[in-house]
Amino acid sequence: MRFNSILLVTALLGTFVTGSAAAAEADKNTWPQHTPDGQPKVEGYWLAVDYGMGCLQNPLAGVGCLKEGEEPGRGNRSKSPKAPSRIIDPADGEIPYQPWARTKQQYYLSNYFEPTRPEFLDPQQLCLPLGPVRQLTWHDVHVLQYPGYVLFEHEGGHVFRIIPLDGRPHIGSSLKLWMGDSRGHWEGNTLVVDVTNNNSKGRLSRAGDFASDKLHLVERFEFLDADHLRYRAVFDDPSTYTRPWTFGFDLKRAIFGAENPTKDDAHYEQWEEACYEGMKPVDYSLRSDRSEK
Amino acid sequence: MKRIILSLILIAPAFGQVPRTADGKPDLSGIWQALNTANIDLQDHAAQKGAPAGQSVVDGNEIPYQPWALAKKKDNYANRATLDPENKCYLPGVPRITYLGLPFQIFERSDLVTILYEHAHANRFIYTNGTPHPKGPIDWWMGDSRGHWDGDTLVVDNVHFNDQTWFDHAGNFHSEDLHVVERYGLLDADHIDYRVTIEDPKVFTRPWNIDMVLYRHVEKNFQLLEYECYAFDLEPYYP
Repeated sequence: MRFNSILLVTALLGTFVTGSAAAAEADKNTWPQHTPDGQPKVEGYWLAVDYGMGCLQNPLAGVGCLKEGEEPGRGNRSKSPKAPSRIIDPADGEIPYQPWARTKQQYYLSNYFEPTRPEFLDPQQLCLPLGPVRQLTWHDVHVLQYPGYVLFEHEGGHVFRIIPLDGRPHIGSSLKLWMGDSRGHWEGNTLVVDVTNNNSKGRLSRAGDFASDKLHLVERFEFLDADHLRYRAVFDDPSTYTRPWTFGFDLKRAIFGAENPTKDDAHYEQWEEACYEGMKPVDYSLRSDRSEK
Repeated sequence: MKRIILSLILIAPAFGQVPRTADGKPDLSGIWQALNTANIDLQDHAAQKGAPAGQSVVDGNEIPYQPWALAKKKDNYANRATLDPENKCYLPGVPRITYLGLPFQIFERSDLVTILYEHAHANRFIYTNGTPHPKGPIDWWMGDSRGHWDGDTLVVDNVHFNDQTWFDHAGNFHSEDLHVVERYGLLDADHIDYRVTIEDPKVFTRPWNIDMVLYRHVEKNFQLLEYECYAFDLEPYYP
């Protein structure tokens, strides 16, 4: 009897091992492969297809959608190379600010070129974390997957996000964070991340676009295939906007290396970007002080 | 198959001591924190206002400075309130980032051990894939880390530092020739024996050692938050 039990266990184990080996073999030939805890395997370095933070309506244009080097008032959006607007919804491509918020954004923008006060400096110029959405538009991000977690390692300013997948609740609502508090889950090949606790100090562009610390974000990272990622983030912040709106752009798998560039990015390493440590004092960047220094 | 099952049974008691990854290495994954006063002073120190007393984490309590360096250390100590690089919120270097006082999270896989720190989003990528240090000289704040497993101990070799960081608030310092070897060894599931050898022939007469215990956070839903050190002065501008 005892011998029979061992035989049975052995037979069952054999079936299991053979079955999972076959599944693993099948997985190897299809996209996506999966991590041991069942996540679609999307690891690697990812980069925005159209780089730029000056203008959400046209990321390839200068700050405030002006041509490079143009001053406000003389700009002509149509002359800039055109990239898809990052404002996917509403259809008019404008953030649905409440009137006071639109005034504030325009005030920041109009003071961008001749900043006389620290608040007119773009947070990125001061090496501050840019928040979960804007950080993704700057430099590359290394996506790493671990049991129960997705990690985003942003090369810009060595900022990271740890995204737990275990369904735990968000932290207390009064705790505000530069990169927000992220909770993720997978829907097929789409990573859905709920982000609360945003301090929203990082702003959304160099043009003064912003949210408040009441912002609730739902991000969808839709991995289309091995090399293409479609990003969508719904901004819900009734204190600032007249309706929810959607920020979106495409990313591609980043291939680095001047010699023999390859999708095998094992040779690429993110090296230290100590942004703040090399930063000039705030006063240095202000218009009134620049001539003296 | 029988042989495999038998082997698993025989190995099981030894493997039960500490958590292990799929490839059998000790699994350091988790959130850890040093619970000591080494950031105030690595050596024995009496309490001062706002700075609790603490026992030395330096083997033998002596840091073997060269004479000129000891004089500089004393000067650093006298002026620590203004000179400590931590006051400027610069990246604190290795090993100070470990015992700066805030939690950090380790993510481990066979080719890479990633450590993410609550302090200023500092990060370290410890490559365990057999790659060498990049060719120097490079003056990084956090250095370059390459690791390997010596039995059950993760050994991390660190070079390519600048000379701008201190080891603690007491003015213990180094040059850009700093060479740091860290050893992470699990004592059990929730404690790491953290040993560090400091070598810098420009500053010290011989290598010296630090030893402390790192504790696992076991609170339900504990997670890293943010201590964006340099941002505090700038925050008022970004309401």
